[in-house]
Amino acid sequence: MIVVENLIKEFELSRQQRKELNTTDRIARAVDNVSFTCEKGRVFSLLGPNGAGKTTTLRMLSTIFKPTSGKIEIAGIDAIKYSEEARKKIGFLTGSTGLYARLTPLEIIDYFADLYKVPANEREERKKYLFNLLNMNDFLQKRIGKLSTGMKQKVSICRTMIHDPEVVVFDEPTSGLDVITAENIIQLIKDCRDQQKTVIFSSHIMSEVDLLCDDLAIIHKGKLKYKGEMEAFRSQMEAPNLTAEFIRIVQS
Amino acid sequence: MDTLRDRRTLIMMLIIPILVFPLVMNVFVGVSASYEEEASTKTLKIGVVGDKDSYMSKELNAIPNEVGAKKLVFFKDTVSMLKELEKDSIQLGIFTDKQFNATLKAQLPAPITWYFDATNMGMSERAEQYMAMIQGKAQQERYVELEVDPRKVTPFVVNYKNVASNKKMVGQIAGGILPYIFIAFGFIGCMYPAIDLFTGEKERGTIETLLTTPVKRWQILFGKMMVVILSGLIAASSALLGLFISIELMPIIDNAEIMKIVNEVLSFSFILSMFSLLLPLTIFFAGVMVPIAVYAKTFKEAQSIITPLNIVMVLPAMVGFFPGIELNYMTACIPVVNVVLASKDLISGTLEYQYLLIAFLVMVSLAVGAVIFSYRQFDKETNVVV
Repeated sequence: MIVVENLIKEFELSRQQRKELNTTDRIARAVDNVSFTCEKGRVFSLLGPNGAGKTTTLRMLSTIFKPTSGKIEIAGIDAIKYSEEARKKIGFLTGSTGLYARLTPLEIIDYFADLYKVPANEREERKKYLFNLLNMNDFLQKRIGKLSTGMKQKVSICRTMIHDPEVVVFDEPTSGLDVITAENIIQLIKDCRDQQKTVIFSSHIMSEVDLLCDDLAIIHKGKLKYKGEMEAFRSQMEAPNLTAEFIRIVQS
Repeated sequence: MDTLRDRRTLIMMLIIPILVFPLVMNVFVGVSASYEEEASTKTLKIGVVGDKDSYMSKELNAIPNEVGAKKLVFFKDTVSMLKELEKDSIQLGIFTDKQFNATLKAQLPAPITWYFDATNMGMSERAEQYMAMIQGKAQQERYVELEVDPRKVTPFVVNYKNVASNKKMVGQIAGGILPYIFIAFGFIGCMYPAIDLFTGEKERGTIETLLTTPVKRWQILFGKMMVVILSGLIAASSALLGLFISIELMPIIDNAEIMKIVNEVLSFSFILSMFSLLLPLTIFFAGVMVPIAVYAKTFKEAQSIITPLNIVMVLPAMVGFFPGIELNYMTACIPVVNVVLASKDLISGTLEYQYLLIAFLVMVSLAVGAVIFSYRQFDKETNVVV
């Protein structure tokens, strides 16, 4: 479970940034008093246009950023006070797949298994399971730099799941992927839900949101514009489709 | 592992340092040998404006060819002679006036002018050599004519004795070169991994992934810095290995005693002592580069800032080439300079340990400060994530 209460994140702007943004304010508030809860066994979607504050929110959840104020609980752990403990529970996947081009998939998975201190016997079982599930056995020994985008995405998925996290955070995971490759991610999200994991993903692709999410929140300019169940969102729609409804809420 | 598979890192860390000295020495030895061979076989043409029967012409001709083969070419005037000298048809020119023999006979100083092209290596030295031989002989003949005992016109018999041991002499030369090699290659060896492991990983998004693992931020920084430091030390060691290979395998040093001293200098205990100074220096280099690499947004930006630093950091290493600058309380406190001077004294066996201790403490303090500063930069959220 993820509990977020009154989350605020402010960044200090450099002189150059103030010039670029045409502002005299020294502080930019990227996330402004956001609160939501993600339940186990449900998929929570964080929607918003570019620059809304989605990535910043997810980076705070995964403890890359420290909130200016507010509370984050990951699987019952205070993620601000005990960030290292919280990270043990989290699997994080971004659209910009961060893989080491000169290592092989096997080496990367072993490396991250070491970082997450996955016990040896459990590690071998997990690897076998994931490699078979994702059909990775043919390219385990090839260097990442020589793999296709789809293969790299599979390695990223494997890396995210090797320690069997309770909470999985996806930051625009299908961005830049073709439909067939994106299907791997969609299937992963569904599997995580079925395994009673807590899943949160950010997106601005309404078709994915429609397909996957149980709960959603819409964020714009750092502020929460909508929060609730997907069913309720659909029933309360004023626009003819999800995309139009999303735009209506953002612009309101 | 990822760093070691990077071709550019391997080239900067291993291949260039190992090969640069053997290649440079090979070219140097080859060029020197070819120059010497050419010099020994080539007939030096000396243009002469003056009487064929003049004392100068006769004595010049009489100098044996063991000194170097030569041929006199006579000209009517200096204009035509200088033209040929410019064209390199002749390599030296000499002018004596019509009264040369008469002036000599009158026991007065007879003017001689030598012409040479200074861009033609060795010509002025040849001229001086010939002139010294002829002058010496003429002087002896003058003493005989004047019935003067040469000892009466020689107020001093001068002996110059060098009390420095060969080891100290070798130390003076090697003490300038060796630390410079270590420092220059140590810096270059650190540079590429520092940029790749911080800015490069930021660009590729792998740092963000690492930060989501249950590893403390300082541990990530420490691990990466260790790679940077190790790369610097490996590059410095590779350069030393390359130098050792070129000395052992190439005919650079003829003197067996000098070779013995060089081998003694490059001993295990010396290398160990050098590394005890190099280690805090390399940590300091890493500590300077890492914050820059963390701060920079792109690889190119990091490279453009760190590359000129090379000059700032390595230039003080050249102090080892200058005589008269010694390790003392003041110089022991100047980073890089202290390492160079301490190394120099270490090689020549004149090291005073209180200065070494000060130098070591200064470098360790700077290294610690640099690491703390690196951590502060790495801890800033906006620095580690694009």
